[in-house]
Amino acid sequence: MQAVVMHPEGAEAGVKARAASTLLAEAARDPRSVVLPSKSLTALERLGIYAHMYYARLIEVLEGEYPTTRQLLGEHDFAAACRRYIAKHPSRTRTLNSLSRKFPDFLAKTLPRTGRNRFAADVARIERAMEEVFDAPRAEPMTAAQYAEIGAGEWSRLTLRVTPALVLLKLRYPANAYMTALRRGEKPRLPKPRATHVIVFRRGYQVFRRDQEAEQWKLLESLAAGKPLGAAVRASIRGSAAGADRVAKHLGKWFEEWASAHLFVS
Amino acid sequence: MSRPTIDSTSARVPNRWCLPDLGLGVGLRTQHFRHITEKWPEMDWFEIVSENFIDTEGRPLYFLDQIAERYPIAMHGVCLSVGSTDPIDFAFLDKLKALSKRVKAKWLGDHICWTGVNGLNGHDLYPVPYTEEGLRHMVSRVKIIQDYLEQPLVLENPSTYLTFRASSMPEEEFIARLALEADCALLLDVNNVYVTCRNHDLDPAAYIDRIPAERVVQIHLAGHTDNGTHCIDTHDGRVIDEVWQLYARFHDRAGGRATLLEWDAKIPKFSVLQQEVRKAARFRSGARKAAA
Repeated sequence: MQAVVMHPEGAEAGVKARAASTLLAEAARDPRSVVLPSKSLTALERLGIYAHMYYARLIEVLEGEYPTTRQLLGEHDFAAACRRYIAKHPSRTRTLNSLSRKFPDFLAKTLPRTGRNRFAADVARIERAMEEVFDAPRAEPMTAAQYAEIGAGEWSRLTLRVTPALVLLKLRYPANAYMTALRRGEKPRLPKPRATHVIVFRRGYQVFRRDQEAEQWKLLESLAAGKPLGAAVRASIRGSAAGADRVAKHLGKWFEEWASAHLFVS
Repeated sequence: MSRPTIDSTSARVPNRWCLPDLGLGVGLRTQHFRHITEKWPEMDWFEIVSENFIDTEGRPLYFLDQIAERYPIAMHGVCLSVGSTDPIDFAFLDKLKALSKRVKAKWLGDHICWTGVNGLNGHDLYPVPYTEEGLRHMVSRVKIIQDYLEQPLVLENPSTYLTFRASSMPEEEFIARLALEADCALLLDVNNVYVTCRNHDLDPAAYIDRIPAERVVQIHLAGHTDNGTHCIDTHDGRVIDEVWQLYARFHDRAGGRATLLEWDAKIPKFSVLQQEVRKAARFRSGARKAAA
C-alpha cells in the first residue's frame, strides 16, 4: 500500500510500478484483490484517496515553510518542485522538522537555470535556516558579568561558544534584503547577483536574519568552528589589507551586535 | 483558576483505570498560543499533538510550558505507527516519556493504524486489515509499548477510506478485542466512526454500541468534509448533528468522558472553539444527573 500511495504519479501508476509489483504477490497486482470497492468508489479510487492526501499534506507543510520561495516560483511550479522533492526525499523521521532539509539544494540542482530560479534557491536557503534555528536547542547566553570577567590579555586566546541556534549563509544574491523589503510591504524587483553573507539566529524565542559584512561573517564563521578569537580574526582578514582595516575599525561594534543577539553562550 | 475535574467513578460505566473526566477541551494550536497565555480563557483542558513538541526547543515549547502550568494536558500522537512491521522505535518512546513528564500529561495516546514501513513515514493514518494475525501483531506491540511507557496507551479509531478483502471481523470488534487483550485504553472518535461508516456503508450507531465503554477514557468530536462518494476527516468545521447524536448515544450508555473538539484546518478564533465544544455540555449534564 505504501509503495502505491507514495508514487508521485498517483495510485494507478503506483500499482503498475516496479516497487509495488515486487512487493505484491502475483495475485495482488490487481488492487481489487486486496482492497474492496465501496458502493461509490472502485478499489483503485479508494487507494487514490490516500495517494492524494500523501502529497497534499506534505506539500502543505512545504508551503508553510517556504512562503517567499513559493511566491517567487509561482504556485504551480512550486507545487511541482515539491512533488518531485517528496518523491526523491520521502520522510524518514517521526516529526516533520527535517522533511525539507534538502529542499534548497534540490531546487538549486533541479530547477532550470534562470536568474529567478537561482535567486529562489537562495531565498529557500534562508527560509530553511529559519526553520532550523526555530527548533534548535536552547543555550544560556553569556551575561555582562561573564564578559566583564574576561581579562584584557585573554581575549586573543579566548574560545567562545556560539549558540546552536545560528546558521551562517553565503549567498549569490541579496536575498535577505529582498525578504526584508517584502516584509515591509514593498514590491522589490528581482535583484541582480551580488554575493552576500547572512546570519539567521534565534534570540529567546524569536528568529532573526541579518546581513553581515564579508569579514564580519568570516570571523563569526571561524568562532563558530571553535577557533580562538585571535586566530579567528586572522582568518577573517587573510589576504585582504582592506579587510584588516575594516576588522580593526568595526570589531568592537560587531561584537556588541553579536553579544546583544545572544550569539555567545555560557 | 479552578477547573472541574469530574470524578470518573460517578460515570455510569467508569473507565477501567479511573482516569479523570477532564471535562471539555480543545486541541492546542499555535494560532491560539498568544491568546491563551494572555487571556487564560475558560477551558477545562488541552490536547497536544505530541510530535509538534518533540525535537524542538523553540517557541512551541515556551508556550506549552506556561499553558501546562495552568491547564491539564493530554498527549495524542500521530506517528507511533502501532500497526507497522518496522521495529518499535524506543528512542521515540523515550522522547514521548520525557514530554509526558514535562507537561505532566494526564495520558498519552495515538491511533490504531500504521504510518509507514521500511523506515519511511507517510504522515498519515493507514488502515490495518482486521484479521486474527493483525490483531495478534498489534496486541503484542501495544503491550511492549505500554510496558516501556509505564502507562496504558489511549488508542483512537482513525477515519478509514478503504477496507481490506482479507479482513475477517468488523472494525469495532477488532478494536474491542485489542483493548481487552492488550489491556489498553480507547479514545473514541465519534466523528471518525461517522466518517468510516459512511465510507464503508456501515451503521454508526451499531458501531458505537459495540465499543466497550469501560475502555474509553476520551472522546473526540470534529467536523469533516462530505464529498458525496466519500467523507474525509478534515477537522475544518463544526460538528454535524448526526455526530452529536452518536456522542449522545455513547453518553447515555457510558456516562461522562473527557471530551475534546478537534479543529485543525481553517482554524477560527478561540471563542468559536469554546462555543462549539460547550455544545457537548447539554449531553454531559444528562449523564451527571443520572449518576447523582
